[in-house]
Amino acid sequence: MRFEDAIVNRAFVLALLFPSALVARPADAETEKLSPAAQKIQWAQRAIEKNPNIFQRYNELAIALARRARETSDVSYYEQADAALQKSFLLMPGNIEGQKVQVWVLLGKHEFAKALKLASALNQRVPDDVSIYGFLVDANVEIGNYSEAEKAAQWMLDIRPGNVPGLTRAAYLRELFGDLEGAADLMRSAYQQVQATEVEDRAWMLTQLAHLRWTAGALDDAEGLLRQALELFPNYHYALGNLAKIYSAKGQEAKAIALLRQRYESAPHPENAYALAECLEKARRLVEAKRMYLEFEQKARRELKQADNANRELVFYYTDHSHQPAAALRIARLELAGRRDVYTLDAHAWALYANGRYADAQKQIEGALSVRIRDARLLYHAGAIALKLGNRSQARRYWKESLELNPRSEYSALVRNQLGKISPVVGLPPGAN
Amino acid sequence: MKRHYGIRALLLISSLLGSQAVFASNHREAPITALDQKADITDLYAFVSYGPSCAGGTPRVTLILCVDPFLEPANGPTWFPFDPDILYEIKIDNDRDALADITFKFRFTTEYQLPGVYTALAGIGDNGAFDPHTGQLVVPPQIRDFNNPGLNLRQTYTATVVRGGQERQLTNPDGSPFFAVPANAGPRTIDYAAVFDAGTYHLDDGISVFAGTVDDPFWIDLGAAFDTANFRTLASGVPGVLTAAEDDPSVLTTQNLTSDTVSGFAVNAIAIEVPIDQLTRTGRVEDPSSPDAVIGVWGTTSRPRVTVRRSPHPSHSSGDFRQVQRIGNPLINELLIGIGSKDRFSMDQPANDEQFAGFFLDPPIVHIVEALYGGALAVPPPPRTDLLPLVVYAPPICPGCQPSDSGPIADLLRLNTGIPATPIEMASRLGFIGGDVAGYPNGRRLYDDVVDITLRVGVGGVLHDPFPGFDPEVNGRLGDGVNRNDADYRTQFPYLADCPSGRNRRHIDPGEPGGGPIN
Repeated sequence: MRFEDAIVNRAFVLALLFPSALVARPADAETEKLSPAAQKIQWAQRAIEKNPNIFQRYNELAIALARRARETSDVSYYEQADAALQKSFLLMPGNIEGQKVQVWVLLGKHEFAKALKLASALNQRVPDDVSIYGFLVDANVEIGNYSEAEKAAQWMLDIRPGNVPGLTRAAYLRELFGDLEGAADLMRSAYQQVQATEVEDRAWMLTQLAHLRWTAGALDDAEGLLRQALELFPNYHYALGNLAKIYSAKGQEAKAIALLRQRYESAPHPENAYALAECLEKARRLVEAKRMYLEFEQKARRELKQADNANRELVFYYTDHSHQPAAALRIARLELAGRRDVYTLDAHAWALYANGRYADAQKQIEGALSVRIRDARLLYHAGAIALKLGNRSQARRYWKESLELNPRSEYSALVRNQLGKISPVVGLPPGAN
Repeated sequence: MKRHYGIRALLLISSLLGSQAVFASNHREAPITALDQKADITDLYAFVSYGPSCAGGTPRVTLILCVDPFLEPANGPTWFPFDPDILYEIKIDNDRDALADITFKFRFTTEYQLPGVYTALAGIGDNGAFDPHTGQLVVPPQIRDFNNPGLNLRQTYTATVVRGGQERQLTNPDGSPFFAVPANAGPRTIDYAAVFDAGTYHLDDGISVFAGTVDDPFWIDLGAAFDTANFRTLASGVPGVLTAAEDDPSVLTTQNLTSDTVSGFAVNAIAIEVPIDQLTRTGRVEDPSSPDAVIGVWGTTSRPRVTVRRSPHPSHSSGDFRQVQRIGNPLINELLIGIGSKDRFSMDQPANDEQFAGFFLDPPIVHIVEALYGGALAVPPPPRTDLLPLVVYAPPICPGCQPSDSGPIADLLRLNTGIPATPIEMASRLGFIGGDVAGYPNGRRLYDDVVDITLRVGVGGVLHDPFPGFDPEVNGRLGDGVNRNDADYRTQFPYLADCPSGRNRRHIDPGEPGGGPIN
């Protein structure tokens, strides 16, 4: 990071740490009782009670339910949204606003190919609709069609310069393309446009900013942003998970475990169990860790063939914890059949590595890194694969890059250990938080 | 990453769902340009130059791009500078592929001569006005040229030609900058005609350029047109249908039967006159029967954009330009393109217009007008292949074009440069359908009545094969009743009329003298 950018980032972080400066709280005590999405659900339901024959009301209810799914990580809201949409389409078959929400719900259920198909059709019908380009971005990103995602995101920025959904999507693409500072730049622009009453939106953006700072190794900045997010939207599951990572990196495992346990209790998904298990293991609470890993495996295997699954976590579980490389590769391939995004390519590469297929693994990891993503885990994996292929200098380069990016990442200890074996001395790179 | 779809980006804040858009005037046709007036293109003109200055020498083509609609000339103190952030371009396709072979680029720069003075334009008399106590000059002399300090907010501009990837900046023979002509604040402040002349530049290579605030050369009964085609009733007794006597085709007509809504308003115009042999693919003035005589013209405005990938200069988020708007034929985006596609149309390239072919071949507005007339007006059935010459290279604009020469469907203003200009006393405001082959849709002249022409061609179907119910006295007499501009055009480059005086401008409303009836 260049010095002046660090100053700008720091100033912004400091501004965020003083609520009076940027964060206005909802003035009305009544509105504080319900989240923004819950309020909208309530309003839509009351409107439907008054007049059940207006299709737009069902669309509004479906939107609110989809938003509530994000707020809570409770996927049952998507089913309720689907039910509301069915009623909307009964009243007005094929209405465009309803179909847009349908794409949203498909994305929420990880039905990415279906979502892409429907979004593409809607884009043909209404090429000026910015939100449809947003769906195209999301579906293409998840599938790994990054050039198509970039095209759609650019249309968003061009058609409505400065629009918040366009900025947040472009920010994510910049992150994937390795431009963490540029990503934060856009995310800050988006944040400054969001109304104070949209507390979950704001908390989400703060969490994203924290994630970007964390990825770049700025732990204190990230922690401050996450505390801000949790103040805005208490118990926010995204923020809890990210804050736990910070605590863990700082060696405060007990605090990290408490947060991850809190998240898992409110959102009992297998991937949340996996994160908790890993943290327990790191804290040497091995009995609890083993129990949690088992719980994770059972839950994850139940979802193995569902669109919404924890297959990538399952791959890493089999490669790194239970040492079942064949199972890991089988699941990686299963996942790869539906998407070729950088994270799935990484999981596949690591499964191939675990099976001793180093040349194939290198092809996969290089495919992921060709997007130019800067991610400590991917770089660690790339280095390990390179070493197995006898390329020590390439391994050293990947590992150094991983440490330079984030000297406190979950992989930093592993990387230092490996580097120590092939290099005499490795100091903490400058810029560590 | 399960259930993290939301983590990615889904921030569909309710206000952003279902963007509201208004079917606006021809000057603000697309939602995005309704929000960006400075980048809003009002009209594009392309015609073979005419008048006394064109005698002898290589014939030339005049290209005019008008932007920034409905400028009220009295609206100081800053009036209407061009936007330095906008890239204004006029593009030429000379080989029938709808891609730009020649591009004229214009960029503006603003400077202040008296930054402490409250107004952009100030002046009085030959010598100015002095402080009676100190004798110091307080008000500069009347503005008569670009060096007068009373032209407080002053704009220079660059004009660049891009051809074959090579850029060449156009310059005055003496190297002095091009100045944009300001608005006409009023007779005390500015000798507008003198400044206009000073701002018309004739360069060494036969090219002339002009940029400035001028009378809006367009005319229309806009209020009637966009009150859901609520045209006024004249002598025929049928709204929007003229009688033969009212339908004076002469461009010298003095007859306006209804209100010109644009009267008394100004617009910012960029004009360039170029010898034809610098525009054609062959570098020659071609015979009108040659496909190479025909060029496609379009204008664009573009702004710097935020790019998904940052520019090579990492401190900037912006990269190249995003096109805000384009124009080829008049009224295409306004009247044909669906409201959900107008921005995409504005921002896309003409070569990609195949995606809008459905709008060209079966314009929804035709069915709307048919319904409004309740059977009194027969309309042609789709597919409207009679409209294809507007969007492909084909006869009659390109009589030498074979089907293989048509190129892609693209909204370009097509001009056969081999067809000489019609002397003004013989010209028809109805252009091609008035028997004047030098007029719209063969290019577009300032005095072409594109509203009446579009109504008759688009809705009336006068170029369509005979169809049931066609009545030449109805379909062929459609018109809004505004037959000419409120101000007289110049007779030589840049042909544009003076910006109305801010002090004395007049907007001619319905019911007023010269404004026709209210109903």
